[in-house]
Amino acid sequence: MWMSWDAERAPVDATQYDFDQRDTSLRGQLRRRFRGWLNRRVPPAREVTLDQRRIFILPSRTGVFFGCCLLVMLVAAINFENNLSYALTFLLATLFVVATLHTYANLSGLTIRAMRAQPAFPGQQTEFLVMVERSKQRDHYALYLKWSGSSETMVNLVDADRVKVQLHMQVDKRGWFRPGRLLLESTYPLGLLRCWTWIDLDLHALVYPRPIASAELPGLATDTPDGAAAMVMGNDDFYGFRDYRKGDSLRQVHWKGLAKGQSIQTKQYTAYADRSVWLDWELFPGMGVEQRLSHLCYWVLVFDERREEYGLRLPGVTIGPALGEKHREQVLKELALFGKGEAGR
Amino acid sequence: MNVLQQVPRNALMWIIISLFALVAPHIGRLPIWVLAVYVIAVVWRLQVHRGRWSFPGRWVKVAMTTSGFVGIYASYGTLVGLEPTVALLLTAFALKFIELSQRKDAYVLLFLGYFICITEFLFSQDLLITLYSVINVLLVTTALVALHQPGLDQFNRGTMRLAGVMLLQAVPLMVVLFFVFPRFGPLWTVPIKSHAAKTGMSDFMKPGDVASLSQSDEVAFRVKFDGEIPEKSALYWRGLVFSRLEQDVWSGLGYYDVPLEEQRPDEVAISGQPLRYSVIMESTQQNWLYGLRYARARSPGVMHSSDFRMMSPAPLESEYLYRVESWTDVPVDLDLSDWRRKTETKLPPQGNNRTRELALELRESAGSDEAFVEQVLEKFNSEDYVYTLQPGRLTGSNPIDDFLFQARRGFCEHYASAFVFMMRAADVPARVVAGYQGGEINPLNKTVIVHQFDAHAWAEVWLENRGWVRVDPTSAVSPLRIEMGLEEAMASEGSFLAAAPLSPLRYRSIPLLNQLRLRYDALTYRWQSWVVGFDSEQQFDLLHTLFGEISTRVFATLLLGSWALVLVPVAISLFFKRDTYPVSPLDKYYRLFCDRMAELGLIRGPGETPGHFAQRAVEALPGFADELRRITGLYNDLAYAGVKDKDELAQFTRAVSRFRPDRRRGLLEEDTTL
Repeated sequence: MWMSWDAERAPVDATQYDFDQRDTSLRGQLRRRFRGWLNRRVPPAREVTLDQRRIFILPSRTGVFFGCCLLVMLVAAINFENNLSYALTFLLATLFVVATLHTYANLSGLTIRAMRAQPAFPGQQTEFLVMVERSKQRDHYALYLKWSGSSETMVNLVDADRVKVQLHMQVDKRGWFRPGRLLLESTYPLGLLRCWTWIDLDLHALVYPRPIASAELPGLATDTPDGAAAMVMGNDDFYGFRDYRKGDSLRQVHWKGLAKGQSIQTKQYTAYADRSVWLDWELFPGMGVEQRLSHLCYWVLVFDERREEYGLRLPGVTIGPALGEKHREQVLKELALFGKGEAGR
Repeated sequence: MNVLQQVPRNALMWIIISLFALVAPHIGRLPIWVLAVYVIAVVWRLQVHRGRWSFPGRWVKVAMTTSGFVGIYASYGTLVGLEPTVALLLTAFALKFIELSQRKDAYVLLFLGYFICITEFLFSQDLLITLYSVINVLLVTTALVALHQPGLDQFNRGTMRLAGVMLLQAVPLMVVLFFVFPRFGPLWTVPIKSHAAKTGMSDFMKPGDVASLSQSDEVAFRVKFDGEIPEKSALYWRGLVFSRLEQDVWSGLGYYDVPLEEQRPDEVAISGQPLRYSVIMESTQQNWLYGLRYARARSPGVMHSSDFRMMSPAPLESEYLYRVESWTDVPVDLDLSDWRRKTETKLPPQGNNRTRELALELRESAGSDEAFVEQVLEKFNSEDYVYTLQPGRLTGSNPIDDFLFQARRGFCEHYASAFVFMMRAADVPARVVAGYQGGEINPLNKTVIVHQFDAHAWAEVWLENRGWVRVDPTSAVSPLRIEMGLEEAMASEGSFLAAAPLSPLRYRSIPLLNQLRLRYDALTYRWQSWVVGFDSEQQFDLLHTLFGEISTRVFATLLLGSWALVLVPVAISLFFKRDTYPVSPLDKYYRLFCDRMAELGLIRGPGETPGHFAQRAVEALPGFADELRRITGLYNDLAYAGVKDKDELAQFTRAVSRFRPDRRRGLLEEDTTL
């Protein structure tokens, strides 16, 4: 498939607009039509450069208030037959018009690029990283970014050509979390006009299953030949150092030694040097899918904490025992996307 | 409190600057404590900004607002009227500043600032005030821009640049709107009037009034003649007619003093070419207008009275332009009604008996009214009467007797008053006329500048077959005054503008200063006639000369055309900025290619090589396989081997330009090939 190049790219989620599809009221229909129109006008993309097709501009609430003030001024000018009051009123009215172009120029030519979405557990805040970049040598001020429900931020592009923006948002359900459309808004320079765009950055955060503690693993599968299912509770006995190899967890780096000027070394512990554990779907018989995944997730974290090698066996998925951040993320991703369709992998 | 909505420090500084700049031109009209409020407000708000004090609580705010109202009432004795209203507005402006915390507060404050600029224009539309107000508007706009530049924690002068640029861009359209926007009368009468006293004529005259007016170098009005300017000695600007003498005070007839049948001015048989001129009056807070007898206003809305004065229906609150035609030679009021004759010969029953006796004596010896007039003038001329700005006070119960027989020193009003008294004593209809005489001719723009010190009083006598005839007793005493003006007449006395040592008019003998003064006055005239005095009539003339027939189509074209003329360059200057990363033509065209593909849903991923992308594209759109491969191949050659000759590049750009992918066709050809 031509879109499969992007590992972070989520499948087109049929359930995303579920609510809308069921909503047959007029409002729901209008909203659906608007979304459709918006999707055609500002299609989802990893990178969006703002142009007149994507930028909307209307007077802000302040602008309407300013318009009312102008009317009062005009009435004053008429009633006092005061020509300079006319002149000032017209100057400000024209300023309003000129401000349209300046406000529009503040968004025009900006490129918004999806960078990264931090995986998170349900109930936690995920972090979206977005890059805002200018293409013309002009200053951009007071760019306001927000997803519906996320934290908000305001950035300037004055001294730098690009700026990274972090936005946080709470997630709840396992699987791909789609934040919807990102609002980029600005009222610079006068606050009289609101210029904005809604962009679908095609950015998705992975939400892991909610970890649920279980007292012990009912039947632990290890890859030792005797098939012992005993839980390994051995305290992580320090075994020794070896030279750092690419892929070693940063937690095991012997930082103190490095700080003293020695070469970079990795601490080794006996426990995971000897044993590895299989976290198996079948360890939790009689439980529901979500519950199994939650328990498995919990144990992934436990073993990762203990620095013991672990593998994962789910229906259709097998990941050999290993250790390290990359391994953990891979395992957690499998748990997060289990049963959510093929394209996630 | 929302952090994103806070007012940046830079904006706060600009708001403080605008605050003081806005109040500055009003200072003369404000009670001093309002300035104290400004200082307190700024100190308070800065202390809040530094975290030392806190914002005022609700009750403190209520207390401050109430004391503001009470203070204004105590200072002005009223809350109605222009000055108290503006003072209230300015006080509210300062108090609002204390509680400025969020952006929306700042909007209210700054929009109020714009409105305060307008209130300044209600008091004066002077050129200098206007220039100052332009600075104020710039400052307020700068503060508005600064409000939208978050993160500027230092005072930043650069903010002013954008505000200035935007205002400059707004000027051309403003000018078009100014000249095109229809001028119509007030939607409703504005009840508030300024209570500030103005220098100028009042509607009654007692000895010494005109002399005190002669101490002022303020401009009363400026006149522009359509043709040649008449002789200075002929410029008798008639404004008020005093027909009633009561307790030594001359006053005009009120509206109800004139019977209904006498209120309409008599028909005047006009003949000959009139003098045409336009007058721009400074604000006087009075109704009357000045003109050369016999004057008829060409501007609508000017009223004429039965004693041939012109009046504006409303007191002149600001500069006022009107156009006049004058026939200086035609006789007026050839037939005098009985009521008029009675009114214009009426004297108080007693007092000034020596004058009365002298008048009767002279009338008898003269034989005719005309000869009588000559005799009285001859008396002023031949005897030792002195024309002076310092006549001394006449405090007796018979002031005219005292003047004529003892003091013999007087200013124009003494002579006019004594002359008319004598005429009436001999039963000759006569009245005092007040206005201005002469004026300074500005050679730069051929205008006549009439100053307050040109104030003058003279007389009108009714003579058989000649009607009302102007007689100026002052000219009999001091011909120099009429021919040259007050300065020359007072040269020996040295009393000209004695109370105003700094007046530029005293330094007319220094050519450079005088040149500057006249140049500025010419500019003021231009300003007043084109901007301040611009009215529907001028508007019609202007549009008519520029565009001929005025139709809605012309209007629409004018507006739209000017919009395009102004906004297109602004847009160009805004959007044609240099690229941050200049793109080579090669990359530009490859991007165009990618954009075309993206339209079909084929988006090139980050880090995806062109070759890889092309392969993916060929799989999706087999119908375009050849073109896709060719373009990508050319691109790869040019990008990696370098652009060696232009032909190759042209080949590539042509290939991209011609490439118009179409999903349907791409898939269709796949079907046919299968």
